[in-house]
Amino acid sequence: MATASKSAKRRYEIVENKGNSEDVDDIIEAQVSDNADDSTDEESSEYSGLEDDEEDDSGDEEDESAWEEESDEDEEDDDQEQDMSTNEDSEDDSEDKVAPTAIPIEQVGSSAPVEEPARPVEDEYAYDSSDEEDLRNTVGNIPMNWYNEYPHIGYDLEGKPILKPKRGDEIDNFLRKMENPESWRTVYDPQTGQDVILSNEDVELIKNVMGSRIPDGSYNPYEPWVDWFTNEVMETPVTGRPEHKRSFIPSRVEAIKVGRMVHAIKMGWMKPREAKDTSVERHKYYLMWNADDKSEDVRRIENPIPAPKPRLPGHAESYNPPPEYAFSEREITQWNRLSETPYQRKFPFVPKRFSSLRAVPAYDRFARERFVRCLDLYLCPRAKKMRLTIQPEDLVPQLPKPRDLQPFPTVCSMIFKGHKGLVRTISHDPSGQFLISGSDDQTLKVWEVATGRCFKTFEVKGTVRCVSWCPNSAIALVAAAVDNNVYLINPGVGDRLVQAKTDEILKEMPAQTDYLIPQRVRAVLTWNEPDKEQWASGFRVILTHFKAVKHVAWHSKGDYFSSVMPEGDNRSVLIHQLSRRRSQLPFSKSKGLVQCTLFHPLRPYLFVATQRHVRVYNLLKQELTKKLITGAKWISSIAVHPGGDNVLVGTHDRRLCWFDLDLSTKPYQALRHHGQGIRAVAFHKRYPLFASGSDDCSAIVSHGMVYNDLLKNPTIVPLKKLRGHDKFDDFGVFDVLFHPTQPWLFTSGADGTIRLYT
Amino acid sequence: MAALKKSMSTDERQIQVRFVTKQEKYALPEAPFSIPCGIKADLLSVLVNNLLQTRETGWEEVEFDFLISGEFVRLPVVEHLKLKDINTEVTIDIEYLERFPAPEPEDSLNHDDWVSASHCFKDWILTGSYDNTLHIWKTDGSHKTTIPGHCGPIKGVRWIEITGSLATFASVSHDQTVMIWTVDLETYAVERVHIGRGHERSIECVDVDKNSSFLATGGWDHMLKIWAATSDSVLTTEIDDGENQKLSTVNPGKSLRRTPLMTLPGHKEAISSVVWTESNEIFSSSWDHTIKLWDAELGGLKSEIVGNKSFFCVSYSPLNQTLVSASADRHVRLYDARSQEGSVVKSTFTSHVGWVSTVCWSTTHERLFISGGHDNILKLWDSRSPNAPLYDMVGHEGKILCADWSNPSLMTNPKGVKVKIKTKELGSALQEDSNLENLGNIEMDGELCASPLVEETNFEVLTGSIYDETRVRFIVNF
Repeated sequence: MATASKSAKRRYEIVENKGNSEDVDDIIEAQVSDNADDSTDEESSEYSGLEDDEEDDSGDEEDESAWEEESDEDEEDDDQEQDMSTNEDSEDDSEDKVAPTAIPIEQVGSSAPVEEPARPVEDEYAYDSSDEEDLRNTVGNIPMNWYNEYPHIGYDLEGKPILKPKRGDEIDNFLRKMENPESWRTVYDPQTGQDVILSNEDVELIKNVMGSRIPDGSYNPYEPWVDWFTNEVMETPVTGRPEHKRSFIPSRVEAIKVGRMVHAIKMGWMKPREAKDTSVERHKYYLMWNADDKSEDVRRIENPIPAPKPRLPGHAESYNPPPEYAFSEREITQWNRLSETPYQRKFPFVPKRFSSLRAVPAYDRFARERFVRCLDLYLCPRAKKMRLTIQPEDLVPQLPKPRDLQPFPTVCSMIFKGHKGLVRTISHDPSGQFLISGSDDQTLKVWEVATGRCFKTFEVKGTVRCVSWCPNSAIALVAAAVDNNVYLINPGVGDRLVQAKTDEILKEMPAQTDYLIPQRVRAVLTWNEPDKEQWASGFRVILTHFKAVKHVAWHSKGDYFSSVMPEGDNRSVLIHQLSRRRSQLPFSKSKGLVQCTLFHPLRPYLFVATQRHVRVYNLLKQELTKKLITGAKWISSIAVHPGGDNVLVGTHDRRLCWFDLDLSTKPYQALRHHGQGIRAVAFHKRYPLFASGSDDCSAIVSHGMVYNDLLKNPTIVPLKKLRGHDKFDDFGVFDVLFHPTQPWLFTSGADGTIRLYT
Repeated sequence: MAALKKSMSTDERQIQVRFVTKQEKYALPEAPFSIPCGIKADLLSVLVNNLLQTRETGWEEVEFDFLISGEFVRLPVVEHLKLKDINTEVTIDIEYLERFPAPEPEDSLNHDDWVSASHCFKDWILTGSYDNTLHIWKTDGSHKTTIPGHCGPIKGVRWIEITGSLATFASVSHDQTVMIWTVDLETYAVERVHIGRGHERSIECVDVDKNSSFLATGGWDHMLKIWAATSDSVLTTEIDDGENQKLSTVNPGKSLRRTPLMTLPGHKEAISSVVWTESNEIFSSSWDHTIKLWDAELGGLKSEIVGNKSFFCVSYSPLNQTLVSASADRHVRLYDARSQEGSVVKSTFTSHVGWVSTVCWSTTHERLFISGGHDNILKLWDSRSPNAPLYDMVGHEGKILCADWSNPSLMTNPKGVKVKIKTKELGSALQEDSNLENLGNIEMDGELCASPLVEETNFEVLTGSIYDETRVRFIVNF
């Protein structure tokens, strides 16, 4: 009677059973009837069910018979009919049995609430079950393979065994699969032993579950989202009330708060926040590479410094060390001495001898040592100490060997003997054939370089302080500074034409009509002509100064020459012009005791050396260009490199200073090779050599290469110490001079000789 | 002999040698000998003498010199072989020849001032000195005449020609002139024929070519000038009055001025010496460290030899076509001017202590030359022995400035060679004999030969030196 909608959804395909017993039928019926109970509507009552039962009974009987008959025939057709029939039967049966005690139970089930409204109403309360509790088989949630060997598959509510429905063999299954259009939605329920045909809704549900979707088929996950409270201004807002006035005017609440804060500031209870200086735009700096911070953090990981290795035990740690490891008296006292600083000891223990291993006591310092080791490992900061592998000898610049820098003078080849006193000064003629020397025996001698022969001797009255041969080879003149006079002498050797010309030029004084000799100059010197006797002996011009003249220097053109009177104060330096017989005093102020002057070989500069400094004057501009500071107390001589950019200054402080005029006013190098004060310095005109002569009777010849490359500094290599002169009266070498073309050196000494080194 | 036996008996290694000689009278059979390796030349000489003695009776001992592969043996044989990298396993050919006789001092010719130049030709010796005078001597030591004429020290002299009793010679000096003179060898009347002006500075050297037709001079103006050496007046241009009064008083006759035929520039420094070769070429050495070879006909530079030091003197020998040079270091170098490949210096002779100022090849002997230096020693070299000279002739007391051989074509005197050296003696109270005695204690490199040998030719060596007032002759026996 109760036609359950629910039971309509679940159509149970009852496997044909050979019908061994009626009990089985009863069971099945009972199961079916249970289902039928579930699906009863509220509206159906017992009584209504009775009426229905009748109809159902009849149907049941018919069905049963049909069912038995059909067991012989194909099951498929029968099954369908059986289903229908069983459903009906179950309904009838259930009503018969359960109806009186049936309590209307709400329908519980996972089936969708979509119902077929045409179904008859079921009594929900009549059926008391959930999905989990399937009362068709009361064995519960057990593994059903326990019933594999039994013909029954469980027990129904009555306690009667539910016989296993007959299942076909493989062929039957296969055929069923092939032919049954609904085989794909047939599921074997092991709990009941029945095949369940899934409804459409069930299939949909399974599909949703398998696709990870919400199982409820009616659920649409893509429902449009209704933004109830949106920031967009909707046409139809949530609330319809208009804004208050306070939305548009400054906030009163905040004004009160601000007023309180202002009052607090005025009262001094609160300090205002410091104003940020926004006028200046502050750049934000970003640590792009983040090297420093990171490196500190991960230094221990990236650059680990391994812990110091502990010393491996050796023979001393043995229980029976060899006798030589035992401490001697000295070692014992040393060990005791270092008790304050035990880490300085060689061993942290005293080696002891034991007769056997049994006799060895526990080591008392064990824990301490382990502790110390632990401190070493985790507490003691470790740092990599970079040892300087640079030897100090590597820093010394490698100078080229003297052997590679040949030619330079090495041996004394010739001695010019003839003078009887100190030879203070020497000078060579521009071609290098002759040498002139001035000495304390009041003579000037002209020597032939190749043979050492003294060609000429000039007698003067007074000690010769300085001689200088005119560098212009068109004029044969020698300037000699003798006491207060400067003599210009025609040496009378060399080209006779040149000599004749010189004599001709110097025969008459040029007319001084336009020129008025300044008073200052007149007080200092006079240009005189020699008398006949003097002319015959070679003197051509005599300049008489008011003080003793110490130094004479020619200009390279041969027209100008300078003379120095150290006692003249501000009138010490005079510049004379030979062609016009004029002199001038270039300086008005005295800067010190002038030692010597020198003309620059190429440019119009005059080097004036006082006792401490060398001043470079530009003669054209008439101003001081540079002041070279030597740092010495007494300069003795200067020489300028033929290129014109380097100056050698020799001092009585044993120092030889090389100045690079382009570099600085301090010496580029100061050489201290001499044992006593330096008296003379000289450059070679062609070879990169320079020499210095000193009071220790030696002359040192050195290599001084000046490069055209402005970045390269001059290379200075001392080459050889040339000895040979004898010391006389504490004086050694007075003057050094290079031959103009050959790598030869002339030195004049206090012993009255001039030596030639080649 | 005993020494030889002794050295043979010790357990020294033995070397196989064979003695060969170019002098036939000392020929030995070429059988190999086994000699101890540490043997020196003197013992070898004894050995050869013994061998020769066995051949002839009445044999007189002769000193021999030994050569291995062209070099004199001065060290023990094994060291010499090691030095020269000669294989000691094979039989070594040792050439032996008669030792060069030691020179003996013969005579000394005194001058008043430094003797700066000297030249010997036939029987006559011509010297020039620093007191502006020229002197003519005979080889027997007699002074013939003094010729003043120059205004400056004389730097070079050369005989041009001696025909019969007329002789021509040239002199150059510091006064920038070349003077060509004629002298009558019987009357000793001297006449200055030409004055050659052209050099701008002092002239250092002069040489005459083999045909006696040209002169070459070089000096401090870096120019090499070629002059005609004939005394005919065709080439003279004008009469020279003499710029200096002194000249005209001495020689009141007219001297004809001569100008150079050719001027060859090229040197950068002073020319120190010139030499003519047999094929009209000139070698000139200079202080610019080069020796240049000029072609006199075309007037151009042919080739040059570059050295490291200034050259002071060169000498050329037609016998072996080699040059020997003296330079500012103490070495004497041998050059082969023609060779282009390899190093130009063929060998270096080192023995002088100071500058070597002069060298001179022997005119008859192809291997001998002499060198004089600032260490007052005159050395006689054999070109095969570069390490040590054959003989050192000590005796001068001043630097040696010039040296020359005298080579009379005929010599009757069997005594042979005379070497003349000039030395200085201040305050010459000493006589010539005492000079000789003084110089008798000469240290020689080799042994004084006891017996003179008979030779056809005789050689003399002349040297001039500083502070010369005396001149000593050494006799060299060949």
